Amino acid sequence: MIEAAPILVIIIPLMGSFLTPLISILTKRYKKDRIRDLFVVSIVIVTLLLVLHMLPTVWSGNIIVYRLGNWTPPWGICLAIDGLNIMVALIVSGIAVLVSIYSLMYMKNDTGLEKYYTLLLLILASMMGVTLTGDFFNMFVFFEIMSTAAYALVAFRRNWDSIEASIKYMVMGSLGASLFLLGISFIYSLVGSLNIADIAQKISIIGTNPLPPILILILALLMTGLSIKIAMVPFHAWMPDAYQAAPSAVVVLLAAGTTTVGVYMMLRVVYILFGVAALGAMLIVLGSVTMVVGALMALVQRDLKRLLAYSGISQVGYILLGVGFGTALGIEGGLFHLLNNAIYKALLFMCAGAIFYRVGTCNLDELGGLSKNMPITAGLFTIGALAISGVPPFNGFASKWTIYIAGIQAGKAFFSLLAIIMSVLTLAYLLKAVNAIFLGQRPKRFENVKEAPLTMLFPMMLLAVLCIVLGVLPSLGINIVSPAYNALTNQHGYIQAVLGGI
Amino acid sequence: MNFDYIVAMLMISFGLYCLLIKRNLIKMVIGLEILTFGIHLFLISMGYREGGIAPIVTSVNPASVVATLGVDPLPQALVLTSIVIDVCVTAMLLSLAIHAYRHYKTLDMSELRRLKG
Repeated sequence: MIEAAPILVIIIPLMGSFLTPLISILTKRYKKDRIRDLFVVSIVIVTLLLVLHMLPTVWSGNIIVYRLGNWTPPWGICLAIDGLNIMVALIVSGIAVLVSIYSLMYMKNDTGLEKYYTLLLLILASMMGVTLTGDFFNMFVFFEIMSTAAYALVAFRRNWDSIEASIKYMVMGSLGASLFLLGISFIYSLVGSLNIADIAQKISIIGTNPLPPILILILALLMTGLSIKIAMVPFHAWMPDAYQAAPSAVVVLLAAGTTTVGVYMMLRVVYILFGVAALGAMLIVLGSVTMVVGALMALVQRDLKRLLAYSGISQVGYILLGVGFGTALGIEGGLFHLLNNAIYKALLFMCAGAIFYRVGTCNLDELGGLSKNMPITAGLFTIGALAISGVPPFNGFASKWTIYIAGIQAGKAFFSLLAIIMSVLTLAYLLKAVNAIFLGQRPKRFENVKEAPLTMLFPMMLLAVLCIVLGVLPSLGINIVSPAYNALTNQHGYIQAVLGGI
Repeated sequence: MNFDYIVAMLMISFGLYCLLIKRNLIKMVIGLEILTFGIHLFLISMGYREGGIAPIVTSVNPASVVATLGVDPLPQALVLTSIVIDVCVTAMLLSLAIHAYRHYKTLDMSELRRLKG
């Protein structure tokens, strides 16, 4: 393995991001804008390859610890890569590759594309940073870079709706980040350390059963900050606005990338920092509220992207529910759902983008009868819709089924029942969307609409194939997830690996 | 010493109040600033030591003196980083406020509600 691979995963997109404006000056002069686009795509692919390169080492049970400047961990910043964050890094970089290919065509007609690609690489670098770092403050810094890039990307087209959405997102997001920072400063004042493993060790000495008041305060601050980021229900207001107004390629990255990263941070805080014992009930309650409200709100939406945003909120609820059960099956189901959620969420938003690209609207009332014009997109959207509602043989079924069973085994059958009912609701509103977009009367002005271009269809097809493969062979998905599960439940091993027996 | 923490917590509360209650976008930005600076003050106060010295080992101040008198340098590094981030976020928010003003001719957040569904 390349010794410096962990830091290269962050540095390459970061450098690429700052090189993009320079390269685009050159490519503009010689009128070869494609070279800039290919440069961006190749940077993202290199990042994915580096993550894949680290994969065998981590999956064989090791924890890679990379010390920045060779400082020993409790003092210096280190990157600690275990099964959990390699999975998140894999999801994020994979989605980023597909998004960058998808943007080649989707963003073609926009101006200021060099800024778009700069922000795209910046958000990729910061997501990688949040995922791989083993230092709490470093995590906050990358988290803020990620959020700031996301605000800018949401407002990218600078029309009234994207600016309004971005302001809402930004006010909420900065509030969340401030609370997160306050939580970090309380942790520092309590244990005098910022290394995640070191904090975890010291908190385990303080004891988490029952949680002392100061830890409850810290936990509340951190969780509030993070739940704003992943749009858990009392704080979800920004998400539908942002997803409706932002360009679809950006939304794919936000829905499948930053949400995954946010959930990862939450898992890291809950499991590695605090140990789950005291927190399972909290995750279950918050998860089911998120699940129910998201699904109910999605039922009444008239805009496709807004509907998908609410459905995304609801799916995050499933992940938290599964993880909150705290049993082996529940955590595995939750993590598997995290992987699946990224796949079909990206697929559905890409389909929404393809429709918007060809038709120019995502309003369900105006659309109709597009299955004759866009048969492939229609098929792919239906696959995504069935996968997200947990219909066999698609991947959503495999992970949701695991969560239901875990709930029943954990003696919380009520929540399983609730999850099943919400799945049926999910199917209902997505079939309504399929019906409204692809079936029924076709308005006269849509008669000449063409199928989406191939560079947009290719990432969508790849995701759809993944949906089917992971649904038909769920053991494959479980194999991908089990290192993450092992890492999540092995708090002691993480501390040992990072601190090296200090 | 405790005075610092009281002021910091007051600033955090005022900032939160301002951010959540005020409707004017500029006032919300100010609220966010007060909130962040409250957190910065809190962080800095944690590393403060009365009559402290810079935590640098020299011939005048050997390691034993630094260990008992030196201030904690880490919170200062954190605050410095956080200030940079904060400036970036504020600049972004203000520039968006300008754009919003051009489109809506108002800075009232409650008027910015065309996105409803």
